[in-house]
Amino acid sequence: MAQSGLPVLKGEPKRRALWDETGLAVMCLTPCILVLGFVIVYPLARGIYLSLLHYKLTDPTGPTLAYLGNYAAILTDSIFWEALQNTAIFSAASVALGFLAGLLLAVLLDRDLPGIRVLRGLSLVPWIVPYIVVAFLFLYMFNFDVGVINFLLRVLGLATENIAWLSSPRSAMIAVITANVWNQTPFYILMFLAGLQTIPVELKEAASIDGASPLQVFWHITVPHLQNIMVIATILMLIRNFNNFPLIWVMTQGGPINSTTTLVIYIFRLAFSEFNFGYAAAVGVLWLVLLMVITAWYVRQFEREMAL
Amino acid sequence: MTRSRRRRVLGRIVLYAVVLLAMLPLLFPVYWLVSSSFKSNLSAYATPPEWWPSPSTLENYANLATGYTDFAMYVRNTLITCVATALLAMAIASLAGYAVSRLRFPGKRPLLLSILATQMFPHVLILISLYGMFRQLHLMNTHLGLIFSFTTFAVPFSVWMMKGFFDGIPHEIEEAALIDGCTRLGALRRVVLPLVSPGLLAVSLFSFLDGWNNLLYPLTLATSVEVRTIPPGLLLSFLGQFKHDWAGMMAASVVVTVPVIIIFVLLQRFLVRGLTAGAIKG
Repeated sequence: MAQSGLPVLKGEPKRRALWDETGLAVMCLTPCILVLGFVIVYPLARGIYLSLLHYKLTDPTGPTLAYLGNYAAILTDSIFWEALQNTAIFSAASVALGFLAGLLLAVLLDRDLPGIRVLRGLSLVPWIVPYIVVAFLFLYMFNFDVGVINFLLRVLGLATENIAWLSSPRSAMIAVITANVWNQTPFYILMFLAGLQTIPVELKEAASIDGASPLQVFWHITVPHLQNIMVIATILMLIRNFNNFPLIWVMTQGGPINSTTTLVIYIFRLAFSEFNFGYAAAVGVLWLVLLMVITAWYVRQFEREMAL
Repeated sequence: MTRSRRRRVLGRIVLYAVVLLAMLPLLFPVYWLVSSSFKSNLSAYATPPEWWPSPSTLENYANLATGYTDFAMYVRNTLITCVATALLAMAIASLAGYAVSRLRFPGKRPLLLSILATQMFPHVLILISLYGMFRQLHLMNTHLGLIFSFTTFAVPFSVWMMKGFFDGIPHEIEEAALIDGCTRLGALRRVVLPLVSPGLLAVSLFSFLDGWNNLLYPLTLATSVEVRTIPPGLLLSFLGQFKHDWAGMMAASVVVTVPVIIIFVLLQRFLVRGLTAGAIKG
């Protein structure tokens, strides 16, 4: 073992060394593969199997094979299409707003000002706050009677009377997205600040001396430099928002009348309110396929960065 | 003071004001959370709002400590399951991360990529299967069941992070130990592991945090109050029996957030690396 670990130094035949390392690798990887097999791979395979069944816990007859029946039913399920649309709105709006706010704040916080490190640290707090706390805080702030947001809107003259944020369909989505953007903006700040700090100061200085305006410096030096980070941050957060459960569940449970029901919320309700496991699994598998396409894209970006 | 210097100072003050103004939407809710937790429930309802809690009270915190909800039990369950998850993930990921970072074996690339891909799986789909499996295996309403469910995030994430930490250790250090007669595992234990100990700390803290924040799994897999963790516990208390106790809700929220902030301060150095799983170089 000790010698075969050094194939290059000892000049052993490459093949034997490879298989010796394989033995050790199998040993090291076994616990990992066992656990992931139990909690991810097998459940996933079982989920695909469930998606082919008529399987409702409340049915007295028990599971029967449905083949692709559940999938056919999805096509005409209006709530599914509504949930898909809500997922897209929730994720796209959250990412777009968080991205812009994060970029603006990162550029501001990149300046060399006294106490800026403290401000940078404080700007991360909303990201650290647990989802349940974000949801509680915004439930309170968006409350109809006692919420500080309605109060501020009235004082600033932006609303003449209190808005029932969480009990009307359109505004509920706005409330949930607001809470989410507040929570996620620091992530973009963090990513963009890290990127900004790798831009050589000389580069910006040279551009300024050559007569470039701050806006030109931003467009022609800062943005290209941040491009990779921007792509990765966007994809990462899209996927995260696609799968966001706790924030929406605590704030609205997907209501009122499905207006904030994203696919994850819909699947959860199908499975654990209606106990319609077969159909829930089918929606889940379809969702997984959609996610895989996006994931494949993510992995490609990631590979390019890492040169794996 | 010369004219240009004065202008510069003025410019900086203006810039400073702009920065603070831009930060206000991020920071005000944090202030509101903390200040409301020190209000009596009556003043939490006040319109116009009480901008500064007066009189301030510790009543809401005292209520949490004296069992007005089952808060202490939720904290205990969360600590048990999250610490166990963190230790398990750390042990598994240090071995697996070592293998994928250092050893050559067939199928490594697909293995790595599939571990990465598992991080994007919709956990709600996995949950549907886990629910049925756990009922058959009598893992419902057990700490062990929750620990397993938490590893769906903790293990893949930790393996990738540990790979990054192992990649950062120069091969020469290990080779020197091998020449001195260590076996590979001996070198791992005596030389490499101590060098990646910051990484071990980081992955265990991240795993801990995920469990601390996780609502989906415990809401479904731990329905009895004896094993209920903090997020579902707070959800069921404050949207149920104690609905509209806003001040109490904010106090509980502060208590849940403080440990997380402490952990993040400890984690600062690894924050970017962990969040992006190596997406940023240097």
